[in-house]
Amino acid sequence: MLDGLSSNATVSKIRAIHGKMLTKDNYHEMLTKRSVPEIAEYLSTTPRFKDIMKDIDPNTVHRGFLETLLEKENFDTYIRLCQFQQLDKVPFFDFLIEKIEINCILMLINSINTGVDRSYLDDLPGYIINHTKLDLLELSKANDFNELTRLLHGTAYHKVLLRVPLSDDGTVDYTECERRLRTQYYTNIIREAEEAFPDSQSDEVVRMVKADIDFLNQINAFRMKAYFNYSAQEIKKHQIKISNIAKKLDSYYELETPEQMLEWLNRYEAQSDITDVSILEVGMQREKFRRLKHYIYRSFNAPVVLYAFTQLCDFETANIFHIIEGIRYGVDPTFIENNILIC
Amino acid sequence: MSIEKMELVTLVGKMNELDLCLDRCCESGCFHIEPAFSSVGTANGLTLLNEKNGYSALLKEFERLASELGITLGETDYSDYAPRTPEEFAQRAEEINHSFEQLNMQRKEAAQKISEMNGAVVQINHLKGMNSDFKEIFSCKYVASRIGRLPTDNLEKLDYYDENFFFIPFETQDLFCWGMYFCPDDEKAIIDDLFRSMYFERITLPDFVEGDADMALRKLTQDIASQQQIVDSCTKQIEVISQQAKQEILKAYSKLCYLHATFELRKKVGFMSGKFYIKGFVPKRDKKRFNELMQGFESLVVSYMPPDADANCTPPTILKNSWFTRPFRMLVEMYGLPNYNGFNPTAFVAVTYTLLFGIMFGDLGQGFLVVLLGLIVGKKLNKDAGGMMIRCGLSSMVFGTLYGSVFGYEDLLDPLFEQLGTDFLPLKIFKQTNFILITAVAIGVALIILSMMINIYIGFKQRDYEKAIFGCNGIAGLVFYSSLAVGLVGTLMFDMKIMSAPFIIFLIVIPLVCIFCRVPFSIAVKYKKFRLSADEDEKMTIGGFIVENFFEMFEFMLSYISNTMSFLRVGGFVLSHAGMMLVVMTLMEGASAAAQPIVLVIGNAFVMAMEGMIVAIQIIRLEFYEIFSRFNESDGVPFEPVGAKFSVQGE
Repeated sequence: MLDGLSSNATVSKIRAIHGKMLTKDNYHEMLTKRSVPEIAEYLSTTPRFKDIMKDIDPNTVHRGFLETLLEKENFDTYIRLCQFQQLDKVPFFDFLIEKIEINCILMLINSINTGVDRSYLDDLPGYIINHTKLDLLELSKANDFNELTRLLHGTAYHKVLLRVPLSDDGTVDYTECERRLRTQYYTNIIREAEEAFPDSQSDEVVRMVKADIDFLNQINAFRMKAYFNYSAQEIKKHQIKISNIAKKLDSYYELETPEQMLEWLNRYEAQSDITDVSILEVGMQREKFRRLKHYIYRSFNAPVVLYAFTQLCDFETANIFHIIEGIRYGVDPTFIENNILIC
Repeated sequence: MSIEKMELVTLVGKMNELDLCLDRCCESGCFHIEPAFSSVGTANGLTLLNEKNGYSALLKEFERLASELGITLGETDYSDYAPRTPEEFAQRAEEINHSFEQLNMQRKEAAQKISEMNGAVVQINHLKGMNSDFKEIFSCKYVASRIGRLPTDNLEKLDYYDENFFFIPFETQDLFCWGMYFCPDDEKAIIDDLFRSMYFERITLPDFVEGDADMALRKLTQDIASQQQIVDSCTKQIEVISQQAKQEILKAYSKLCYLHATFELRKKVGFMSGKFYIKGFVPKRDKKRFNELMQGFESLVVSYMPPDADANCTPPTILKNSWFTRPFRMLVEMYGLPNYNGFNPTAFVAVTYTLLFGIMFGDLGQGFLVVLLGLIVGKKLNKDAGGMMIRCGLSSMVFGTLYGSVFGYEDLLDPLFEQLGTDFLPLKIFKQTNFILITAVAIGVALIILSMMINIYIGFKQRDYEKAIFGCNGIAGLVFYSSLAVGLVGTLMFDMKIMSAPFIIFLIVIPLVCIFCRVPFSIAVKYKKFRLSADEDEKMTIGGFIVENFFEMFEFMLSYISNTMSFLRVGGFVLSHAGMMLVVMTLMEGASAAAQPIVLVIGNAFVMAMEGMIVAIQIIRLEFYEIFSRFNESDGVPFEPVGAKFSVQGE
């Protein structure tokens, strides 16, 4: 009973913060701006980002730093929410930290594969360093994949990456690393949810995570079919598979053309019709956006609402980045607006 | 206590008399202008005068002059100020500007330097740990150095780069760490690139910064002081010039405001074959005065027509009110003005508001204080608000006398009533709770019935039979509601058997059927046709009609019940007021003899402030939701006579 109540307090807090998130009107106004300083100036007036922007000079701020700041604000909000009622003591609530850890490892693998020195350290988000169990700075010393696995020894990622075969030129298959790491990530958070929460709560978490996996698989399969014309077997090989997941997507992978995939998605997944293959990804992401918003307002489970909220925050920053990029390269505001994730 | 009658006026004349004609319209203070045509389709060859207003830029120029001379703009009499054309104003502005231009430039330059030096002070404040001469550091031949701020999150990363540099932090804040990095001069391109990738924001110290951080700060402080002296000296001299130019600037600005506003009116003037065409409304009572003002023109033709002569213009509304009801017009305007053919509800609001306030806030002493407060508010702040307070206070005094309540003392007037020999007075609130609550509902029923009667009157006036006869607030609604009220009161309170079959059929069922079929019935009466929907193009099926009206009927029934019950709050607040004063009295009795007057005063002040506000708001709620919603259509256009309103554009 008391657990339920404490969870409700966090849920209410998340809903309050969600109420401050940027709306369609905010994006519309941002699209009337003509430069990054103007965008920065505008963001510093919004209730959502004014605190993080208070020491920033909009006229001199670097675009990359502006983007890092917005991501930092999202991360700090997540940490505050976890600490609000000591939810961070439950392993499940490390889900965002683990996700960023995986992104950092993948960034390092990419850096090793391409041989670009220093890019890992440059791109490593500084705000995460003191929150991870991994020593992300130490990892920067890895010059090759073997060294990386050695540095990861004793962590959950070690075994996963050890199984990835090394090619003759010392590189590894990046997509395979990503698939394995993400598979392990989702398996872990589902297991942690089942261990930590009562049945009704964990069922909702599992349902949401599985929908997330389905979404990733659907988008990836579409890309493989539309841009690389992969066969059904190849597509299946690259999917995130976790135990007990429904096999309903098998028929989707076997479709011949992207148009058929679009039709399948319209029939089984999309709430509103996605009219064209060219806007399939935006349409799918909007579906996901709608689903996450539904969780925020309908669910009373803190793990579900927090998980959905962090993803909505990602959508929000992605929208801002789109607008910034669009404005920098002089893209038509209507085109940018059509690709923004809002519903 | 009705709505002011209007006349539609058209003014046609030659273009050379346009300015004078507009001046006279403004001077009249009773001319509500309308655009010469509402759409191109109705223009009949007329074009709007869409000229650039030459006074706009001059307004800005005089605002700039006033701002730089430190003059606060205000409205002034400009009758003796000669310039009129934009050219003449521009020349005067140029002459005033010339008189202080040199000093102003000098002041601006000094202020600019102060601003730059203040910026440097802010930067150097972050470098307070720096004990070496800046010039010496920057002049090193083999070592490059950079000052700036690095995001705090990236500090830890520095140890993991292999490149040849070191960073000295001076001040670490929440988001940034201020500091300096050093590197070999021949590697500075790589190191600069590395720091840029970590979003290091480099600052460049101005050339005038000398010595170490402390010395630089001292020197900058001295320089700022000397520049400030220049600013002060210039400001003093400008103030003298300002005193001389003040009157002229104020007059010029006031006149410009007037000329600008009258020129703006040209946007509503039509033009055809060398003649102008102005259209608008004049209150009937001002017609004679307006006509007199329009005399003396060579070519001007003034024609008067009925207000509804032009279908493209909506006549504006002026509420005619007596001295008693006038303060309450602010409530009516807050809700929205009735249209020209509507009903002025101000008198109704004045009476009901005053009555309800007195009932809910009945106290002879507190009412008296409200009257005094009303007198002060009326004099110092807002005449209408003060007037409302005086009327409400008087009503509160009357009902306070009936309740026998003076500043919470409920027995103070008892001897007086005993002498008068009235047994039923004063009303002892806590002993007559049921009576008070039932009376409150009875007042509600009476007010709702009255609202319906007003609605019926408006409906017949506008020949809207649905509204007047068949609607839920028409005759059908009135018969149903009042019969139900009489039936329930008779049966439940007086044990009279009046709810007989004919009573139910004729006074309850038939009115309900009329309300249910109000649309087809009103169409049948008005057009002698049968149609289920008011919209001729809408194809309404019988099923759709029944479903739609079933839910609407449900809503009507709910509104009858909820609106009636809503008046229970009147009784509730009578009890609440008495209850709160009882608490004050109990607290006073518990206090020491010395503290008792203080508790009494504070308690009364608290109850007056809180209860008074709540009661005032609750009555507004009752007026707007329970009463106005039954008859008041707030689609009127306010009467706005043309004239030059003084306003500072930049504010």
